[in-house]
Amino acid sequence: MDCTSCDATPTRPDRPHTFFAHAQDTCPACGVAIEARVVLRDGAVVHLLRCLACGPQERTISDDADAWVRSFLDRGVVPDGLVGDHLFKHTTSTCPGCLALVTAQVVIRKDRVFFLKDCARCGPSEALVSEDASYYVKAYSFARAGTQPFLFRNGVEHGCPTDCGTCDDHEQHTCLPIVEVTDHCNLECPICIVDNQYSNHMEPATFAKIVDGLVEAEGTCESLALSGGEPTSHPQILELLRIACRPEIGRVVLITNGIRLGKDRAFAQAIRDLGVYVGLQLDGFTADVHEKIRGKDLVKEKAAALAAIAELDLPTQLIFVATRGVNDHQIGQVVELFLSGPQFLSLNFQPAAYTGHGGGTFGHDPADRLTIPGVIKRIDEQTGGKVKYTDFFPLPCSHPQCVSLTYLLRLGDGTSVPFARFVDFEKHATLLRSSATLPATPEVEDALTDVIHDVFARQDEIERGPEILAALRRSLDEMFPRKPLAPRETFRVSERQSKSIFLHHYMDRHDFDLERLRKCCHHYPQIDGRIMPACGFNMFHRGAAKGPNTPRARFGRAPFSLPVIG
Amino acid sequence: MLVGGRVALVTGGSRGLGRAICTTLAREGAFVAFNYARSDADADATLAAIADAGGRGSAHKVSVLDKAGLGALVKALDAVHGKIDILVNNAGFGQVVPLALMEESDWDDMLDTHVKGAFLATQAVLRVMVRERYGRVVNVGSLAGIKMMQAPVHYATAKAALKGFTEALAKEIGRYGITVNCVAPGILDEGVSDHLPPARKEEYLRHCALRRVGKLEEAADMIAFIASDRASYTNGATLVVDGAV
Repeated sequence: MDCTSCDATPTRPDRPHTFFAHAQDTCPACGVAIEARVVLRDGAVVHLLRCLACGPQERTISDDADAWVRSFLDRGVVPDGLVGDHLFKHTTSTCPGCLALVTAQVVIRKDRVFFLKDCARCGPSEALVSEDASYYVKAYSFARAGTQPFLFRNGVEHGCPTDCGTCDDHEQHTCLPIVEVTDHCNLECPICIVDNQYSNHMEPATFAKIVDGLVEAEGTCESLALSGGEPTSHPQILELLRIACRPEIGRVVLITNGIRLGKDRAFAQAIRDLGVYVGLQLDGFTADVHEKIRGKDLVKEKAAALAAIAELDLPTQLIFVATRGVNDHQIGQVVELFLSGPQFLSLNFQPAAYTGHGGGTFGHDPADRLTIPGVIKRIDEQTGGKVKYTDFFPLPCSHPQCVSLTYLLRLGDGTSVPFARFVDFEKHATLLRSSATLPATPEVEDALTDVIHDVFARQDEIERGPEILAALRRSLDEMFPRKPLAPRETFRVSERQSKSIFLHHYMDRHDFDLERLRKCCHHYPQIDGRIMPACGFNMFHRGAAKGPNTPRARFGRAPFSLPVIG
Repeated sequence: MLVGGRVALVTGGSRGLGRAICTTLAREGAFVAFNYARSDADADATLAAIADAGGRGSAHKVSVLDKAGLGALVKALDAVHGKIDILVNNAGFGQVVPLALMEESDWDDMLDTHVKGAFLATQAVLRVMVRERYGRVVNVGSLAGIKMMQAPVHYATAKAALKGFTEALAKEIGRYGITVNCVAPGILDEGVSDHLPPARKEEYLRHCALRRVGKLEEAADMIAFIASDRASYTNGATLVVDGAV
């Protein structure tokens, strides 16, 4: 029932097209070479071009979008007997030496995908972007239209990525705002992707303005994450969390290394009392791994944090930065931990991005690194198939190359079964369309109804079919009890029905892809009101894309450097 | 033929209206499986009637209240035919008893057989229909569940429940190409009407425009029609077959 004294929350509109990819083209008016935004619109394929001399232009490439997409995907099929690289497409990346924007050939080589770049100043370079060419190519078929915020902070002047904030050419709203509330930290992580200056704690009033700005732009936010630095280093962190806990924000997440959580029980209790969620950085289980990634042995600190989480039943997301040759052998262990506790709602793997104060200089081979398929493969291998490679799908909310995920339904015996075992996500793409969690929209309800009936009809063929049906029934009973729940209780109850494993590959100077940035939905809101797509901010604004003291792009603006929004 | 090539399951098919439904569906081209709870001899008679109508069928001794038995029956039919196109929820019985004398067990037996039986049979068969994205469910209701007339309260309640069952289920599963309808006969010349007191029949005839009770075949013909593709846009409906009372 709608509140009689409040206006209903308006729904963010869809973008007028489905953003698909970037492609090389020329201005139809003056002929200068420009990278086009390829969009699917009203059944046609259109190149949207922004010529600095002639202004916005567009060119229809095909009147049959379905056929065009099929031919695009066919370009990813390597001819039999081909020796050498197979060109799939082009995009814009960065030179790993000078960070200039350069054209990249996207090529398939021995079932893997590489960017081949040639910077006029620094020369050629190569970067691995996917360890599975089939996954990479097929991911494009998951492209779906984004939605747009009610308010873009910037208009388009010079085009992506220079107008960021976001500009009205951006293809997705802010699904996950991450506010860096401090640049102080109690660790010096060798893999740190930010660049702590130990000089700023965000004022509560400033933070409140940022939240106001988010609500103005988004209407409602499913999630709001507080990060840093280490946000628990902020002397007024509880006040900031209280400010964030408002009706327009569904879930407030404190991203933390867990040190304070484990040793300050009053603080942990306060987190619980506020209803805040924990995003616990947990990249391994042994001293050597912690030392290599976080700079010191944190085995006891992580154990203490996990104990506090379990004791207080704090809803938690585990965050695992995965680095080849350092902690990728402990991927299965974190999955097992995640599956073992009802307090763990999601597990977020981040294949390491080699950017930031630590990460920019962290030892790595850009041509032989972990990417999303590599992490999924290790999940499969190290859990003995408990969670399989085929359980994962690209999330079309962001660019499909950015995030992969699987949902797992909690069964009656406490174990979980991936949704992909009983949901055909290619058929029910709505369930993946717009969000990391399932919103209660008519489309989602419709798709879930089909899923229930599909399982009902095929329960003898589906692995653990009757148990899945029983779990779906339990979910209904718990989410729609005879005695109505308060909205926040409903939120919590629904979260307990399933878990999710995400893989989010942030970009660095090697694998930066302007096409992906175009649809980024993980944003850093800034004190001046700009809402910055994360990888663009890390690459061009933070000043640490290659480690400390990396020169910023000419349009770069450092964190905490501009006046606070009025 | 109305239902040529279709596979039908009729509950309570060994006697009365159930036998007429089986015979009619068989004559109209369907393979007709039916279940029954008691008399093997009656079941054999129905099988013979199906054969006389030029059709094929099978009899299965399982109660509509035996969930596991129904599941096994559906599985067996599905294994042989690969589908079940038509379900007629017909199982039921009549009982003349005023509320004042009604035992709790009378109430339970009546509601269980008519309503719970329809629920269990439908749930079992729907698995196949949803998979096949096709189905025709026909519930046998009664005029007693629709109009104010002198009828046993538990019987009228059970038949009224089937009307609600029909409408709600039609809404829920129409998306899978499955229609759900209810056929509500008035008094027929055989079956549950056999034990009606003469005064009730006389009252009925006074109000019936056709001045006669119906024949089993007349109700069965309507059921066969509703179960056919000729009635493809009829869904959630209750069709009264009463000669205009």
